[in-house]
Amino acid sequence: MNDLFLRGGRVVDPASGLDALRDVLIRDGRVASIGEHLDPGGADVFDAEGAVVAPGFIDMHVHLREPGQTHKETIATGSAAAVAGGFTAVACMPNTEPALDSPALIAEVLRLARAAGLARVHPIAAITRARAGKELAPYWRLHDAGAVAFSDDGFSVSNPRVLRQAALYARDVPGVFISHCEDGDLKGDAVMNESARSFELGLAGSPGLAEDVGVARDILIGGDTHKPFHIAHLSTAMSAELVRFGRAQGIAVTCEVTPHHLLLADDRFDGFSADAKVNPPLRVANDIAALRAAVRDGTIDAFATDHAPHTREEKAQLLADAPVGFTGLETAVGAYASALPDLPLERFVALLSTNPARILGVPGGTLAIGAAADVTIFAERPWRVDAAAFHSLGKNTPFDGATFARRAIATIVGGAFVMRDGIVAAAVAA
Amino acid sequence: MRERSLLDLDDLTSAEITGILERARRFHDDPPPRNLLRDVCVVNLFFEASTRTFTSFAIAEQRVGADVVALPPGSSSLGKGETIADTAITLAAMGVRVIVTRHPESGFPYRLAESFAGHVINAGDGRHAHPTQALLDLLTLQTEFGKIAGLRVALVGDILHSRVARSNILGLIALGAEVTLVGPHTLLPEAMQRDGVRIARDLDAVLPHIDALMLLRIQRERIAAAVLPSLDDYARNYRLDARRLEALAPGTIVMHPGPYNRGVELTEDVFAFPGWRYAQQVSHGVFVRMAVLDFLVNGAA
Ligand SMILES: [Zn+2]
Repeated sequence: MNDLFLRGGRVVDPASGLDALRDVLIRDGRVASIGEHLDPGGADVFDAEGAVVAPGFIDMHVHLREPGQTHKETIATGSAAAVAGGFTAVACMPNTEPALDSPALIAEVLRLARAAGLARVHPIAAITRARAGKELAPYWRLHDAGAVAFSDDGFSVSNPRVLRQAALYARDVPGVFISHCEDGDLKGDAVMNESARSFELGLAGSPGLAEDVGVARDILIGGDTHKPFHIAHLSTAMSAELVRFGRAQGIAVTCEVTPHHLLLADDRFDGFSADAKVNPPLRVANDIAALRAAVRDGTIDAFATDHAPHTREEKAQLLADAPVGFTGLETAVGAYASALPDLPLERFVALLSTNPARILGVPGGTLAIGAAADVTIFAERPWRVDAAAFHSLGKNTPFDGATFARRAIATIVGGAFVMRDGIVAAAVAA
Repeated sequence: MRERSLLDLDDLTSAEITGILERARRFHDDPPPRNLLRDVCVVNLFFEASTRTFTSFAIAEQRVGADVVALPPGSSSLGKGETIADTAITLAAMGVRVIVTRHPESGFPYRLAESFAGHVINAGDGRHAHPTQALLDLLTLQTEFGKIAGLRVALVGDILHSRVARSNILGLIALGAEVTLVGPHTLLPEAMQRDGVRIARDLDAVLPHIDALMLLRIQRERIAAAVLPSLDDYARNYRLDARRLEALAPGTIVMHPGPYNRGVELTEDVFAFPGWRYAQQVSHGVFVRMAVLDFLVNGAA
């Protein structure tokens, strides 16, 4: 393996408190030294001047669709999308077909990820068998197989007794419970947020309350069971307030926010297109402002895209029939920077790297000497989103055509470039 | 090149709405020659049963001399989501110039119009819009009062699920009426408040102060869905009966888009009320639909 020399970038590593112009030498897949005016020796030199060199970004909430829905995405295409967007690692949700509820399926995901050879893939296993909300998944065996967290994402575990028993049984199993909080009864057959807009459009809406009661419930179950909970994709002002409340009670709870919930409101439905149909739904300006404030004040721990690829044909259906979600990996860096242009870089990196690594308990999130050299290099270079050019099979994003200021320019996993100047490694090798 | 469609009343300026009402009035007073849409192929694409609107459109289309094809609901696989564009392209390729469509999902005509090289007329989409119903209601008001501006109009009942209410609100506001919505919270959320619209819960307090009362159909399914406790409980506050008719100011008219439920949103007393305008509404429907077809295909006269 070639040594790499990242010359003259602004190295931002929240784990060590470093934020300075430095050279970084990577040897044998590890961070060998960080300093001023280092000697590159025979290393492959990357000119990082004007760019930021950060510990590798980790998207802790993606849907890779494999096994079972490989027309939407595969672990290989999802990995390519990840590194193209600047992510060195992703944690993939278990709502595949079948659901990731057995050690063999976890092992299969890891095998496919190794074969793809781009991003690190950390499987998240189901909380209940088949995500049916009734019987508990085998947490220890899933952990042994490589599952890093547990979630029935896509749904809440609707029965609170089941969730409480699950959390108690899994209390000592490494791996947080990740909660998708939406009360199914309150949500009903909603296709968007319940608001003045949904009433005007005559569309069934899901009230913010459907999320809020779910967040409150799961935080309280976390407090009761002492199992750490992580609340996925906050979308309401009240959710953030409930996280603050939980922490004030001493409850171990963390949370994430997507780019779309920081940028887009429910006026995206005016043409009755399903492009912006997503769970939880896009809310209103007040929620967006509250979520941005919750990022700034530290309430929100992590940025996570909820990358949810679907085919064009699926998303072109009528609103009631079209599936929820859209792709996010290849727009995240630009979208987050666009939502919070004034966010200090140290916080930006912590939300995308340091904190997800800590919450999931996975390697990475640091440029400490000797750490595996997972590195994301990004810069302020305005670019225009072209969904047709995505590496993901999912070409749907409400950001198509948007102009963003920030983008990842190189992604290094285990000391090797997997994306360099926008070119993903497989293409370089070809 | 997108041709003009009528998907909801906000597709029209208030001058255009007035123009269509005038045209409909003209057609009513002086039937036009049956050739306004000669050689124009119109397809009635209804995915939801509707005897009344379907028949009204069919009669209107005959009276303007269009070539009419009806695709009854369930007769084809058209309209399934993945084929919206295919449907539009196929019909356009056959020479269809106008699609009149009704669909149970809000927004269907909008998606159809995106890919159809012709005119789309929304004959009712989900709980979203029913613009020709609103136009015939406006024509009924215009005929009765000679104007719409300044009229005090109350809509009563299931506003939340009513495409008739939504389109009427747009039209009434555009033409300067004062709109009051009346109903219980589950059928009329506070968030439906908008500029030019007042929300009231007490129908009895509203009755003496209006020029027109538009009743809306109450569906029995609302009880199973835990939206209403019972039709009787609804009747206590909102059913138009003899006592409430008494409370109306002289000259007030009562309208209903039909089909009405006797004993639910109204009692039989309403049928004997001199201001009951249901039959005029239905009659105006044909002329308004003739006017819309003529306006879209032949342009503003
Ligand atoms: Zn989710």
